[in-house]
Amino acid sequence: MAIDTDKYVIEIEGLVNTVGAGVILHRDLNLQVRRDEVMSLVGGSGSGKTQLVRVILGLKRPKAGRVSVFGVSWEDPNAKKVRDARRRMGMLFQNGALYSALTVYDNIAFPLRERGGLEEEDIRAIVYTKLAQVELEPRHGKLLPANLSGGMVKRVSLARALALSPDLLILDEPTAGLDPDRSEGFVRLIKRLREDHRFAVVMVTHDLDTLFELTDRVAVLADQRIIACDTLNVVRAMDHKFVQNFFGGDRGRRALEHG
Amino acid sequence: MPSRDAALEIRTLAQDPVPIRARASGDWTFRGLKEHSDEFERDRAELHKRPADHVSWDLKDIGELDDVGAVWLVHAMRGAQRVEVSPGHREILNQVGQGLQVPKEHERFDPLAGVVRTGEAAAGAAEHLRDGIALFGQLTLDIAGMARRPREFPLREFSAGIFRSGVTALPVTMLVGFLVGIVLTYLSALQLKRYGADLLVINIVGVGVVRELGPMLASIISAGRSGSAITAQLGVMRVTEEVEALSVMGISVTSRLVLPRVLALAVALPLVSFCTDIAALAGAMLVSRFTLGISPGAFLQALPEAVEVVNFWIGIGKSVAFGFAVAFVACHYGLRVLPNTDSLAVGVTRSVVASITGVIILDAVFAILLRNVG
Repeated sequence: MAIDTDKYVIEIEGLVNTVGAGVILHRDLNLQVRRDEVMSLVGGSGSGKTQLVRVILGLKRPKAGRVSVFGVSWEDPNAKKVRDARRRMGMLFQNGALYSALTVYDNIAFPLRERGGLEEEDIRAIVYTKLAQVELEPRHGKLLPANLSGGMVKRVSLARALALSPDLLILDEPTAGLDPDRSEGFVRLIKRLREDHRFAVVMVTHDLDTLFELTDRVAVLADQRIIACDTLNVVRAMDHKFVQNFFGGDRGRRALEHG
Repeated sequence: MPSRDAALEIRTLAQDPVPIRARASGDWTFRGLKEHSDEFERDRAELHKRPADHVSWDLKDIGELDDVGAVWLVHAMRGAQRVEVSPGHREILNQVGQGLQVPKEHERFDPLAGVVRTGEAAAGAAEHLRDGIALFGQLTLDIAGMARRPREFPLREFSAGIFRSGVTALPVTMLVGFLVGIVLTYLSALQLKRYGADLLVINIVGVGVVRELGPMLASIISAGRSGSAITAQLGVMRVTEEVEALSVMGISVTSRLVLPRVLALAVALPLVSFCTDIAALAGAMLVSRFTLGISPGAFLQALPEAVEVVNFWIGIGKSVAFGFAVAFVACHYGLRVLPNTDSLAVGVTRSVVASITGVIILDAVFAILLRNVG
């Protein structure tokens, strides 16, 4: 399929972002995510990765700068345009953010029903397809989120994020809290899903194995901005304290040998 | 991304053993299908009229295929003779096909369902009652323990509770008290005037407010304000596992969460109802002045004679019991909240209803017990 790589799904220019009483978190931050890539966002604790994701999702309004997703700014007065752009992305929250009062089935069906235009019968087929894609069985559909294990919450949440076949998937710590086996399964899952449907992925992660396996480019968030955004090998060669700590050392070497 | 509209082309080859050729191209996605849904529906109905083994499908030219497109195609291709499709898309179609095959569960009619439900409700109520009694017992033990080791008393929570459920409740309860005092006095005055028993208004309103209305108004407003707040707070603590975290640290949930809240409301409510009494009597005084011509001085002078002081103490004593009951019921419901948002909403609603009902029942009990006093 022809893909116009000049186009970006996410464009951020000159972003200034503050938290609390005017503490500056990001200053003059620039970032572009291409249509067909997996971009990993790495950075130390407190560097504002999750806050940056919240800005991308339009949950937080930045102090200054331009943020557009699918070429649409969240400030756009055209509500339909904004809604359509929102429906083209899926989000996997760190803690799942499943609706606790709804069953697994209804959680996944929720975005499909909200979008409208589908018969309940077809929604049912899609929900069970999504469940199977994240390696869950139909019988799990009847459970409530409170009765799921941590890994299952992640998978159901991923299934919900994928329900509308998004063009952009944002993953906040997708493998945190999963055992190594499940993490690998998760990586395989994302890879396979991307073969069927080439969506872009933005992923916040500390898991080097996942990073080496999946990522096309790495964006390093440090010193209040993106200090580098390039392929793994280029970023790893950088002479920066955080980068050396993150990729160097035993942890990085082990992951490299694996990958 | 250059997107091509979904298109469906149907040709008929008369001589072929498989005479009908359907060829799909373009992007078979939710957005792509939406434009042509009517037209495709017609085509699909048309194809379903023919025997399924007379149709062959060519899906090689499909660009993008999502679940919605796949569901449509799987429905349309049911039983088709030959399907040509790229490997990636075949995978999607297989997955969706399996999704469609998941058997539906039908709810079976159970003639004993009503009996089962009644039994479950009864068992639930019994468990509720048992938990309530257990909490009450634990609370009593904790209070006794605190009396022996006063230094462990959670003073900060206690004083914060008095401020929150007492001081901040004053404006609204006093306003309500003042207005009820006005209404009650006005209605009584209208009746009493006819019999020339003007001065009796002080007896009626005085006893009514000090013994019944003050404590009742204060505790019903507290049930709505503080009771719901307590249930919601403990409920959220249950949802976020903060209650469990306390237990794990070896800290007693009743002595840390329940005890200070119950005692705080038991102390704060008499004070609130005292202020409500004053506001209601002020309202009564105002109306007496204008409808019956009783001056405020005369009103205040007649009040101690008309209302024996024991009535005041009964009112205050009842407020202590009401405060205890409201906070206790609120804590009980709060700790029973399950970790989901629905349960929280149900818990808060039931807590407020139960505490208001409880207060009214308690009041009736007190009225019977103290019928010969004052």
